[in-house]
Amino acid sequence: MTCAEAEQLLDSFVDAELPGSMLLEVARHAGSCPACDQAVREMTTLRESVERVVRRQVEGVDLSGVWPAVERRIGRSGTRGVWRHVPRQLPVWGAVAALAAGALLWLRTPQPETVRVTHARPNQAVIERLVSSEGARVGIMKDRKYGTTLIMVSAPGEDTGQ
Amino acid sequence: MKHQAARVVLIGLSAATVVLLAMAPVAHALSVQVTTVQASLEGPSDAQLLPFRPRLRRLVGYRAFRVIRVESRPCIWRTQEAFVIPGGRLLHVLPKGMREQAVVMQVQLLEGLRSLVDTDVRLQNRGVMLFGVDPERGPADGVLIIMLKAEE
Repeated sequence: MTCAEAEQLLDSFVDAELPGSMLLEVARHAGSCPACDQAVREMTTLRESVERVVRRQVEGVDLSGVWPAVERRIGRSGTRGVWRHVPRQLPVWGAVAALAAGALLWLRTPQPETVRVTHARPNQAVIERLVSSEGARVGIMKDRKYGTTLIMVSAPGEDTGQ
Repeated sequence: MKHQAARVVLIGLSAATVVLLAMAPVAHALSVQVTTVQASLEGPSDAQLLPFRPRLRRLVGYRAFRVIRVESRPCIWRTQEAFVIPGGRLLHVLPKGMREQAVVMQVQLLEGLRSLVDTDVRLQNRGVMLFGVDPERGPADGVLIIMLKAEE
């Protein structure tokens, strides 16, 4: 098994979703390949830390506010507005004027700025500026293989976060 | 006779306008796709997300991913578009231009009137970037992931 083949299977390997023979093959490869072994360790650590945080969260759940919240929602859903008056006819000249205005807008539509060609990595995103709201925690993560960028926002509600 | 000719001219003008308007999005638009995904610890993943699953797993640590909303539409350069995100949120996208084969845009994630994040990014043409929103009640509820794709 090559690293490229193993890499496709590492997620399922960590989750033990592979058939026995494949599990064994990936394990053998990881045993002899430091890079894949490291990837497995990183993924296992990440999974364990998420599970640990979730377990702690679930243990501390207070369900006393659930039913009052459900009742409030039910009360609110009955008061939603509906569309009542939809115009059925538009004057012809009004339509023509709108079309003409649209054409004028189209003619004045701004063009993109300068185009310069260089080599590029797929999914690579460069953050040039980032502002977060007060009380919000923001983290930027990047996937090494694909270059995919994730901006993670953790924002407590306004009543608790300020 | 004169009246009839005027009517023909008017119809012709209207038809030309309609054609121009139909061409407008094709000629000047950037295609932006916003996919909202619910990540959770357990459960099945949607087939359309399978190509993204490895990187989603590595970035957020959850293992099940379900699409809860997809919205794709053309955006005009230097014109802000608002994409609805479940949970009372909005993603404002303002494409500014192309630079080094990348789409330069301002992206703002709003929760009600509150701006959670306001950022300027350069995203490779046809590339995907992600925004993750931690749930209010903690990680047991999973994470909301917003996949933003831009294509000139």
